[in-house]
Order: sequence, then C-alpha cells, then structure tokens
Amino acid sequence: MKNIILDKIDKSEALRYLGYRNTKIDDTLLAMIDECEEEVRKLASPRYIYKVFDFSETSEGITFSNTNLTLKGNSIKNHLANCEKAVAMAVTIGEGIDRNIRILSHTNLAKSVVFDAFSSAAIEQVCNKVEDIIREEFKEYKMTFRFGIGYGDLPLSHQKDFVKVLDATKKIGITVGNSHMMIPTKSVTAIIGLSKEEIKKANRNCADCNLMGNCNILKSGNHCY
Amino acid sequence: MTKKEKFKELLKKDYVLLDGAMGTMLQAAGMKVGETPEMLNITNPELIESIHEKYFFAGSDIVYANTFGGNEYKLEECGHSVEELVTAGIKLAIKARDKVKPEGLVALDLGPIGILLEPTGVLSFEAAYDMYARCVKAGAAAGADLVVFETMTDLLDLKAAVLAARENSDLPILTTMTFEQNLRTFTGCSISAFGLTISGLDVDALGINCSLGPKELEPVIKELRKWTNAPLVLKPNAGLPDPKTNLYNVTAKDFALLMKDLRKYGIKIYGGCCGTNPEFIEELSKMLKENGNIKAEPVEVPAAICSATKTCVVNEPRAVGERINPTGKKKFQQALKDRDMDYILGQALEQTSAGADILDVNVGVPGIDEVEMMVDTIKALQSVVDVPLQIDSTDPLVLEAALRVYNGRALVNSVNGEEESLKNILPICKKYGAAVIGLALDEDGIPKKGEDRVKIAKKILDRATSIGIDKKDIYIDCLTLTVSAEQEGARETLKALQTVKNELGLKTILGVSNISFGLPNRVLVNHIFLTMALQAGLDLCIINPNLPEMMGAIRAFKVLACFDENSVDYVAAYANMPQTKIVPVSEAKTAGNNPSASTNINLQEKKGNYELSDLAYAVKKGLKSEGAAVTRELLTKMDSMDIVNKSLIPALDEIGVEFEKGTLFLPQLIMAASVASEAFDVIKETLNKDSDETVSKGKIVIATVKGDVHDIGKNIVKVLLENYGYEVIDLGKDVPYEDVVNAIRDNDVHLCGLSALMTTTLVSMKETIQLIRENNLDCKVMVGGAVLTSEYAKEIDADFYAADAKESVDIAKRVLG
Repeated sequence: MKNIILDKIDKSEALRYLGYRNTKIDDTLLAMIDECEEEVRKLASPRYIYKVFDFSETSEGITFSNTNLTLKGNSIKNHLANCEKAVAMAVTIGEGIDRNIRILSHTNLAKSVVFDAFSSAAIEQVCNKVEDIIREEFKEYKMTFRFGIGYGDLPLSHQKDFVKVLDATKKIGITVGNSHMMIPTKSVTAIIGLSKEEIKKANRNCADCNLMGNCNILKSGNHCY
Repeated sequence: MTKKEKFKELLKKDYVLLDGAMGTMLQAAGMKVGETPEMLNITNPELIESIHEKYFFAGSDIVYANTFGGNEYKLEECGHSVEELVTAGIKLAIKARDKVKPEGLVALDLGPIGILLEPTGVLSFEAAYDMYARCVKAGAAAGADLVVFETMTDLLDLKAAVLAARENSDLPILTTMTFEQNLRTFTGCSISAFGLTISGLDVDALGINCSLGPKELEPVIKELRKWTNAPLVLKPNAGLPDPKTNLYNVTAKDFALLMKDLRKYGIKIYGGCCGTNPEFIEELSKMLKENGNIKAEPVEVPAAICSATKTCVVNEPRAVGERINPTGKKKFQQALKDRDMDYILGQALEQTSAGADILDVNVGVPGIDEVEMMVDTIKALQSVVDVPLQIDSTDPLVLEAALRVYNGRALVNSVNGEEESLKNILPICKKYGAAVIGLALDEDGIPKKGEDRVKIAKKILDRATSIGIDKKDIYIDCLTLTVSAEQEGARETLKALQTVKNELGLKTILGVSNISFGLPNRVLVNHIFLTMALQAGLDLCIINPNLPEMMGAIRAFKVLACFDENSVDYVAAYANMPQTKIVPVSEAKTAGNNPSASTNINLQEKKGNYELSDLAYAVKKGLKSEGAAVTRELLTKMDSMDIVNKSLIPALDEIGVEFEKGTLFLPQLIMAASVASEAFDVIKETLNKDSDETVSKGKIVIATVKGDVHDIGKNIVKVLLENYGYEVIDLGKDVPYEDVVNAIRDNDVHLCGLSALMTTTLVSMKETIQLIRENNLDCKVMVGGAVLTSEYAKEIDADFYAADAKESVDIAKRVLG
C-alpha cells in the first residue's frame, strides 16, 4: 500500500468549513490558522483501504458479489447505474487528531475549531489522493464521484457492515460506534462506480445531500465539493 | 494439574507452536466477505473442525478456537448468543484436538470488541470488562485450556480484557498486540508501554501478531524484548498483501526462513497470522526441529512508569508535578466539590507544558466520594495528557479503583512503614503491576535521624520484594521537614537519601516544597534544596513545575551532571527565552502574565491607565492576557458590575451582531468569548474575595446527547452562555438520558441545551426530551447541531431551535432573563 503524505492543506477550504466570507482577519488569527495547518499535517497519519467488487442490482439496492453486503436505497442504484464495478473505500487520518482536538478544547477553544476544520480539509485531501491511486489502477475506466455512506437515502446503518467488508478495523483502525459513527472521527467511507462509458452525473450535488436546507457552507455562499 | 500448570509445563519445551490463520482458511473455503465467521461453528462445524485438525497435523501445540469476534457487540445481529457460539467453537477445537493430538491445547481466542474505548470512543472500561468477562466465562465453561487476546491495538482495552480473564477464570493468559511500522499501534500505544503494563499484570506470555510479515516485525519484536521477561510470542502475517489481489507475498518456506533469523530475540511461542495456512506451520515446525530454538537470556528491564503513549524511564532526574492536590487550596477544593473537571485538566495541562514528566494526582477532600472522584479524574486526565500519573491517596480502595482504570503502568503514592499500610497497599501494587513510593515513616512518625529512616526504607524494601514487587519499582521518600522549625532536618533528609540510593540501591523521590515553610522568598530556598537533593542522588523531584526556578534547577543539573547530552534539552527549553527585563513592581502588577506575541501596542503603551473601552477593544480583538490585565486594573477603580454591563456585555453584543451579519466568522466569535471568559474569571476571583455575591443569572444544563461524541459546538455554546453570566452545568458528550434529567432536577434548572451532530443521534435527542417531559420538569429545552432544522426541533418537542451559539444566548435571555 502506497504511503500517503499530506501536501499543504487548502486554507480556503478549511476556512469555508468555518463559514468564512472573505472578511478581514487579524494577525493573531492568521498565525493560529498557519499553526493549525502545520499541526494537522504533523499529527495526521493517513491510512486507507479499498476493494473492488462486481455487484448486482436487486429491488432493494445493490449487492456486492461474494459478500453479504446489500446497500439499500435508490440513491446508490442511481450512483452505480451503468457502472461495471464498484470500489469500496475507507480512509482515516487517525486518532491523534481526535486527541488533539480534545486537548485544544480545554486549552484554546478557538484553535480547536480551526484545527477541526483543517482536519476535515486534510481527510478530504487524503480521499482525493486515494481516488488518484484508484484512477491510476483502473486507467481504462471512468470514475463516479465518491458516494458516502449516509448520503442520499443510503442508510448510515450500513456503516458497521461496510467497515467489516473492508476489514477496516484491523487494517486501518476504523471502528464504528453504536450510533454508526466512525472513530477516529476524521474517517470517510465511500463507494465509487467504475464504468467504461462516459459518466453523466460525475459530481456531487447539494440536492442529494442530507444537509440541504440547513447547510452553513451553502448559507455562506459556498459549497463543499 | 491445573490448566495454568499445564501451560507452564508446555513452556518448558524448547519452543511452542501455535496455529496459522483461521480467516484465510475460511475465505479459501468460500466464506463470503463480511460474514460472521463464528456462525460457521453452527452452520458448518465440519469445516471448522477440519481446519483445526490440519493445524494439529502440521505441528501446532495450541490451536485458537474460532471465537475471535465472539463478543456481544460483534454478534449483535447474528441471532445467536455469545455463549452458543463460543461454546460451539471451543467444542469443535476440543474435538479436533482429542482426535489428532490429545496433549494439545485449545485456546479461547478473543480479538478487540470492535468499538473504541473512551475517551476517543464511546465504550467505557467497565463495559468492555463486562463483555470480555462474558466471553471468558463461556469459554472456560466449554473447556478452553487458555485465553488468548490478540490483534489488540488499545492498551486499556487489553487491560480490561486481561483483568476480566484473571478475575473470571483460572486459565493461563496469552496476549498479543498489533503494531505498525512506526512501532506504535493504531491508537498510538508504544511497545514499551505494552511490555511494561501487560507484564505487570502477570500474564503467562505476550507478544506480537498480525499487521506485517516476519521481516517487517523484526524491529518490533526486538524492541519488545527490552521491556519484558515474559515468554515472547510472535505470530506474523505471511508478508504484506498485494493491494490488487489481496494475496500475501511470502511463501511458507520463506516464512520459516525469515522466522529462523528472529529466533535470536528469544521467542518462545511461534505461529502465523493472516495469509498463513497449515503449510506455513509445517515449515515452521520443520525449521525449529532442524535448528532448535534460541533460549531467551533474561533482560534488565529499565525502571519506568508509563501511559499508553509515553514511557518515563527513571534513569535521570524527572519532574513530578505536585499541583493536582487540594491541600491548602480553596479554589481546588471547591472545584472538586463542584466536579469542575475543566479546572483540574487546566492544572494538568499547565504543568505538562511547563515540563513535568509525571503528574501527582490527589483528590482527597472531605465531603466527596474519593473513589468515584479519583476514577473520574484519572479518566479525564488521561484523555488530555500523555505523561504517566502518580496516584496519591492513603486509602487502598481509592488506589485500587484508580489502578484498575489507569491506562499504563502507574506509580502509587504511597505505602509507609506502618504494618497496616504495608499489609493493605503492597498487594494492590503487585496485582496491577504498579511501581510504589515508600515513605520513610512508621507508627512512631518520622524518625529524627536519617539512619532510622533508612531502616524503615529497608523494611519496606523487604516486604515489597517478598510479595514479588521488583526492587527497581520501589521509590523511597526520605521526607522533607520544615527547615525553619528544625534546621538540621534538611541534612538528615539528604543523608538518608544518599544511603537509600547508594547502599540499598533504590530509587528516590522527594517533595521539596515543605522545606521553606515560614520563610520569606520560599522559591529561593526550595530550588537550592532541590539542587542539593539532586546532588545527593534524587531521582523523582516533586515540585511545582510552573515555577521557572524549579524546572530550571532540574534542567541545569542535568546539563552539569552529564544527563542531558550536548545540552539538547536545556537548549530546547531556553533558546527562545526572551531577554529578561527588569520591570518595576508598580508596572509588573498591571502588565499581566505573558502578554501574547500579538500584544497590541496601543494597550501596552498605556501601561495601566486603562479605560472601559480598552477592555471592549481587547475582547473584540481576541487579546486574552491583555483582557485579563485590563480587567484587573479596572477593578481597582470601578465597580465590577459597571465593567460587565458597560464594557463586556456591549462588546459581546457587538461581536454577536457582526457574527450574524457574517462580517466576523466563528473563530473570531470564540476568541472574543474566550477573552471575555478570562475577564469574568478575574472579576469572579475579586468578588469571591470580597463577599458571597454571585454574578449568576441562572443555571443551564447542556449536553451532547447519547451516542454522539462531537462536542465542539456544545463547548462554544458553553463559553458564550457563561459570558452572559449564566452558570452552565456541562454534562459532556455521549450523555445518557437519565443523567440529563437528574441534572435538571437536582439543580433546579429551567433551561437545558442539547446538541447532536449526526442524523443517527437525533433519535437520542428525541428520547432525552421525551424523558424530560415524562418527568414533568419545569424546564425549557433548546436544541442545536449541524443536521438539525427548526422543523425537526418542533417535531421532537423541543421548545427552541438555536441555529448557532449566538442564538442560544438570545434564547437564554428570553427564558431566564
């Protein structure tokens, strides 16, 4: 498995997560932002795993071959429509990030919030890098965007089984708690469709998102993709 | 022969062979990915039995039953109980054993529960213990010969497991953890912490399994060897998996060849993990038969204590922070009574950032449940600091409760020469593998003469070693007396210290601060005495690390006594130190402590002639230490309520409006709120001094609901509400429904705030509100969190929806005034 090393984290992306709208930032905050950028890169330990599956469509949803996993709902069916294969992936930047957010919430609350946003931007970056690795491996295919568990009508309750199919607890240390929440919290699971044909809806969009109508990023005039 | 004896007997062999992978064999036999393997114990028993048989034929002395995931969390949805599947699994292995190798052993094999423990996860130590205990009881009843815990990555999880096995069965325990190439587990546990902690729990064998192949695990096993004398286990994968095919890259022959090279680390028990099969075990067996094993030479394990992530080796003087102790500190005592964990954590973080290597933890104050308080404090401390802890209490019940949940290997403070103390405390230290401090006093008090203190030290040494505590884990405190009362006392202490160190060969510890009671300029006496004690051979220095002179004495001593090679640590500590300026006392008072780098010139130039507008300015600019300094100065010339109402509140209101407009964003809002917090703290301190007057506008309970650990939003709300004078009872994250109800009822609270980040935890929010309603509490509920909408808030019967932290303040104003 290729090691992933984080590049500089996109500041504007991290600030966007915080609802930033191009207002003036003074030096104290600027310095804190730079510190967080560096510290996240230092403390993150990016790990990933993915597996490629053939799949079949049932009335319920999508079943991955040779597994007992059926992903329910129409969103995932639409997502994988016209695809020949599906890649299941899981990514994390590790527990050290959670620990530091916890420490900062006691020592410097403002910094904990900024650090949290940079961590989110960092996991996004790692996901993109994993996508590049997959793209490199499946050159002959076109790829859909990353469809997260819990996105659209794909129930979050699949999380535990999805992590199990990837053996992600043993391989990269992702665990799933009782409310289907992944720990370390900066972890992502997603499904990418592979198709030899051109893919129509190649991007994420707000319409399928659970935060639609309640999204702070959208309210501040941005979007997360 | 008991099963423990039988296992010991087996260990007398030159080497012991485990089996190879189970999962790999099951997948090869067509098990679907994601299936629950333990189900096969019932649905396909022939398959499981035949795999065990193959391993016994290949040469395994011990096989692991197909029970790895046999806990109630992993089996939750499979329709069978832990007892059914574990029993079936053990029985199948026994059947295979009886058929193929009657002298072979069957292990109850258990992996991690699969949910991460607190503080990062949501599973409590106690709940993990119960889950393991249930598996162990089932396995023991079914006839297992030993218990194996493998593929563990969280040290505390493993500790819960080992204690569950020890306290619920008489079976021998073999345990292995899984390390990555950076010599840490996924949760950051170090090899030294694993070796020190788990050897201390008296397991029968320990080692490494999974993650990597034999070649990559060489540095891991080499490091582990340094930290334990327990029989070593090595169960590597068949190399590394190919990312495309998922096949492992080492053949059975090469595997055996690579393992041959690792014999030099004194491994006793060999096996294979993922990707290995009976062929690997056969080759391994052949290799060991042909070449023989290499016997482990005993190693000198360093004197050390640790947390899961940080090991403190006591081979040079170390600083023990003394500040977590309520003795003589009114504010600390109040914090304990109020269960104000933030205050205690603040004390801890201040000391570690000042350079403390170890923190002493004492929470004994009359009127509280010390056991409960100690357990909560240890858990909270270990969630934010990584230095090891020194557990300070005279009550054996408190010590035992603390040692159970402590993640790592602790130092106990303390035992003394009294019979009662020796009898009650030493066995607890032994049971949990803790190091222990022995105070050189007994029934007759502290002996005047140094040599008499040495006699007590000798007695403690003898008693401790007689029950199996290692000599290097005993630290003697020769006790500091007040020099203004007894001037020769200092000399006697140092004399005793020297003898204990040089003649008894024990490590020493000393609290130095007592020396200067009753004298002016205490720090001067303290740090000179500390220097003298260091010269006499002091190992652990109990000090206030926040005083630069005290840490300085240790750092400088380490340079001069050649502990700090090339002065690396010294330079790191002081290279960026600002030039010392001599500040007249009159100015020092208002200059505040450490103005931050961004000190605004405007405020500094004013040198104390502050006005109300300066405080508002500091709040708006997020200047924390300046805010406190300005407040302090303003309090000398005006009424505190004027400061609050004419400066702080208007400034916060203004910030709030800007935040709503979007001209300020979240971090700026929080920074302003934090400055205001500091200012309020200063005001409260002054008020408390003058009278019993409080500034509370009302109490509010806040919590992140059950199942949710995302508490950043809640923390922001807390600070803002406190700014506006509300007394916030923060229940933390993942809070059970009943706890919210109890807090509201017990404190007569009329407003409660609940937060949830995930769609799945909104259900918990609903349940919590329902329980509040069912209890007929006169309490309004406001809710907030990323996925929440005002419509949904209505639907779950909340009274208010707060879109952001600022709105929660508006709501509080409406409800409480």
